[in-house]
Parts: sequence; C-alpha cells; structure tokens
Amino acid sequence: MRRMVIARLAWTVAILLGVSFVAFMLVRALPGDFVQTSAGAQNVASDVLEAARRELGLDRPLLEQYLIWLGNAVRGDFGYSFVTRQPVVGEILPRFVVTFQLTLIAGLIAMAMGVATGLASARLRGRADWIVRLYNGFILAVPNFVVATLIVLVVGLYFPQIAIFNYTPFFTDPLANIGGLLLPALSLALAVSVTISENTRAAVLEVSGQDFVMVARAKGLLPRTVLANYLMRNALTPIVTVTGLQVATLLGGSILVETIFAIPGMGQYLFDSITSRDYPVIQAIVLLASAVVVIVNMFVDIAYARIDARAQS
Amino acid sequence: MSDTVHNTAHNNDKEASRPEAVAPRRLPFTSGQVLLVLGLVMLALMAVVTIFAPLIAPYDPALTSASSLAAPSAEHLLGTDSIGRDVLSRLIVGGRTTLLITSVAVFLALAAGLVLGLLSGYVGGIVDDVIMRVLDVIFAFPVFLLAIAVVAGLGPSVPNLILTIAIVYTPAMARVVRGPVLSVKQWDHVEAARSIGMSELRIVLRHVLPMVVSPIVVATSLTLAQTIFTITALSFLGLGPPPPDPNWGGMLAEARQFMELAPLTVIAPAGAIVFATLTFIVLANGLREVLDVGSVR
Repeated sequence: MRRMVIARLAWTVAILLGVSFVAFMLVRALPGDFVQTSAGAQNVASDVLEAARRELGLDRPLLEQYLIWLGNAVRGDFGYSFVTRQPVVGEILPRFVVTFQLTLIAGLIAMAMGVATGLASARLRGRADWIVRLYNGFILAVPNFVVATLIVLVVGLYFPQIAIFNYTPFFTDPLANIGGLLLPALSLALAVSVTISENTRAAVLEVSGQDFVMVARAKGLLPRTVLANYLMRNALTPIVTVTGLQVATLLGGSILVETIFAIPGMGQYLFDSITSRDYPVIQAIVLLASAVVVIVNMFVDIAYARIDARAQS
Repeated sequence: MSDTVHNTAHNNDKEASRPEAVAPRRLPFTSGQVLLVLGLVMLALMAVVTIFAPLIAPYDPALTSASSLAAPSAEHLLGTDSIGRDVLSRLIVGGRTTLLITSVAVFLALAAGLVLGLLSGYVGGIVDDVIMRVLDVIFAFPVFLLAIAVVAGLGPSVPNLILTIAIVYTPAMARVVRGPVLSVKQWDHVEAARSIGMSELRIVLRHVLPMVVSPIVVATSLTLAQTIFTITALSFLGLGPPPPDPNWGGMLAEARQFMELAPLTVIAPAGAIVFATLTFIVLANGLREVLDVGSVR
C-alpha cells in the first residue's frame, strides 16, 4: 500500500511538471506579444518596446523563462498580471473561491440527482428503468452552456422577478449568494448527474446480486434497512470515485457557465485574460485548474486502492 | 446504454426456442437495432443537409435585411436575427463548419490514436511506456481547458481548431485501441500467424486490428458527440471559426443579447447542437449493443 502511494505521488509530480511545461509553452505561443498589443495603434519607438520586454523578462531564452516561472510558481508567486500590474495570486484567489463554491454546489446537486435516478433505475426496473435511461441519454446530449442559456431565456421570459445576473458575495449575504448560484450550478450538474446515475445503477445492481444481500433479505430485515445498510454502503465507493473524476468536467464547464451567468469566478477571468493576452494570468489559471484535477484524481486512485485491494497491483 | 435491455431480449430468444414456454412476449427487433437504425437515419438527415447546404438554404446566410428579429413567417421560417439575417439559412450553412471540423478532427484523432495505440499495445516494452506516459500528460489536462489554451495559442481558424480537437482527443482514442490489443496479441491465432513467419505489420493489420474494431467504432461515435460539445463551446466563447461563416456555437452566443425579443434565434441553434450530439449518442448506444461491446470507458 505504501509503495503504491509513493509511486502514485511521484507520478503525480511528474505529470504536474509536464502540465506546467505544456501550459507555459502553449501560452508563450500566443500570436502577437503583449508589449506590442498594449502599445496598440500608437507609434512607439522600437527601443521603448525593447526596454518594456526586458523589464518583463520577455527577452530571455524560453527555457530560462520557464524555469524562473516554475521556481516562483512553486513558491506561490505567479508573477504580476500584465494588465492590472497586481500579483496574480491576489487576483486569482478570490475568484478561485467563487469557482470552488460553484463546482461544489454543482457536484452536490449532481450527486443527489444521479444517486436518486440511478437508484430508482436499479431498484424499480421495468418502466422506471427505461424512463430514467431515456432521460439520461437525452440530458447527455444537451451541453451545459446550452442548458445555461435556455435557463436564462426561460427565467427572462417567464420569471422576470428572479434577478439572475446579480452575484452576491458570500460574506455580504450567504443565503442570497447560495441562492444565486443554484441555477448556474444546476446547468453544470445535469450532464455530470448522468454519469453518476449510470454508475450508481451499475453499482447497485452488482451489489444486490451478492449473497450477503440475499442473506439480509432472507433473515427478514426491512427493505429500508437492506437498502441503507447493505446496498448503499457498498455502492457508495464507486459513486464517490466517479464524482471525483468529474471534477475536470465541472471545472471546464464553469468557464462557460460563469460567462453566461456573469459570475466573477476563475472561468470568466480566464476568458477575459485570453482576450487581453495576459500571459501570467492564463498560465496560472490553466496550471491551477489542471493541478486541482490531477491531485483530485490522485486522491481518488489512492482512496480506491485502499478500499479495493484488487486495484493495488 | 443497456446491458439489461439486451439481456432481456436475449432471454426472450432463449425461452422462445423452448417448446414448452408459454408464448413469451417477443419484440421483432432488439433495442440495439432500433437505436442503431434511428441513429443512422438521423446521421443521414444531417449528412444530406450538410452536403447540399447551399442548395437547401433559402437565403444567403450573410445577407442582411431591414426586418431584424422578425417572428417566424412564410418567408423566414425561423425568423431573422438581430441584423436581419435568415436564421434557418444560417442554421443550415452553420452546420457545415461545425460538422466539417468535427468529422475531420475526429478522423485525425482516430488515425493518430490507432497508430499510437497499436504501436503501444502490440510492441509493448519501452515504446509502450514512452507513448503512454506522454499521452498521460495530455490526458491529465481538463479537455476543455487544454482546448482553450491551444486555440488561444494558435489563433482561432478552421485548421487550428481541427488540430486542437485532434490533439485533445488522441490520448483517449489511443487508450481505447491499446486495451484490447494487449489481450488480442496473446491469442492463439496471432501466435499461429507468427509461427508461419508472417511479417509483424501484416499480423497487426490482418489479425489484430479486425479484433479490436468494435470498441473503436463505439468510442469514435462517443468522441464525435463530445467533439460537437467542445467545438460549439469554443465557438460560443468566441474561439470558433472566424465571423463571416455562421456556426452553431457562435449563433447561440450572438443571439443571447436579444433572446427575449426573439427566442427562436437561441432555440434554433440550441436545438441543432442537441440534435447533432444526440445523433452520435444514439448511434454509439446502438452500436454498443449490436456489436456487444461492454462499457468503453
């Protein structure tokens, strides 16, 4: 077990290095450099542009720039935003909290919906099973940004009293904050809930065919007890695992959903930064989001191996 | 979608063959066949509309007119957008760009995935390690973030979008190919082919590849569905094909500003995106049952 954890940790560090290098190189390949872009149409002397490049460290060899950037990033210093001239960390952190909150709520909604429909599908069989599966197949075909746009449309047309573009910070009014995030979170959660639903169904069906469940039923335990203590407890592991692996989907989707609902999170910030070619910000966000996904996946793997001895080999 | 549905149909078959069985209810087709045919019909419909788009579209998609945000009428079946362009025409022609990028990109990802997956799975050893480790790094990125980073880096144009999508989906394809190859290469018929001195390339093409086609076909169909999402989402963010050509994601984004005045300008591209995605999901589910492939991922 310990060897597995160490190997997995080493592998995670290696992937993070690869991810950071790719993130750095990709962003550096952006067409048009920042100095030129910010000079805009003004006629700036080339030696002034050169001086600006030197000041920002853009004249050094690429590999050197990468190592400097990585060394600083490890210490939590992602440099300064080219646009606001403020430290990137300070710009990202409050937005990261917003995105984290959004994905958390979306994850919880997805889990509730997925487990409920998956359980219904596995336990009721027959027609209920069919309805859930048709519903799942259809929901899977509706991308989150389409759901979000349609929600905004329906609210705008039929429920104008609901203010959807009013983001309230958590510490101003926690209830209004969470209430405002419900619709965006729902549009993020739908597609994820399908994956959870399908896995819940498979897990419950597998567990309910096993002997100990039959014994529990045979000795006359209430169906409710069998469901809670025997079926769900054992089906929960794959369900949690699958939810963990959906973090990438949730983070990717938050870019779109935040843009549509005007939520000041990381996704919207990334979008703005791409438009203004704010290298350090793009690098930091891509690296941070990928790191979150890689690390969550690592924990899921380790947790899974701890529970299921078969996965350790 | 449904192993149980498949199994039930299967059991029905078994009971029917038993003479003493009391007239079991038996469907003429399995649900897999129904799904497959439905998927193929939807695909054919999309293909015809896409190929003959300029002939079918009633107007030039870039033609502006004085009647902006018009309600549906006999002249404009789906109304007009904010600068008076015919929504139906833009929808029909817009499908071209979206589906062209999707199909070419997935084809490239499939080709690259096939080569890398076969190489990795069949040759094994250090080649396998190197290929899989490099792909793992790409795989570790959240797909959509990676796509945004690459498109933003290369600049949004049709070839760049194709390249991006192909890069993003190659690792998944390679994994789907590699898995079954690992077991198939140890089967007896491969051993037999090798013992009679057949060349390795011929063994791979004649005796390994045909054995792994089913999961690849299903995975390709699912990847097509995901690609429609990625490409329309990128367009939605303004990272899609450049403006004069209409595309579904871009139409949806443009229409948002005035959508309460003309809901159809949003509903039409949304419907098209859902239809295209649904086509490939239905197809994948049908293929999975008919070809009897377990869950691919």
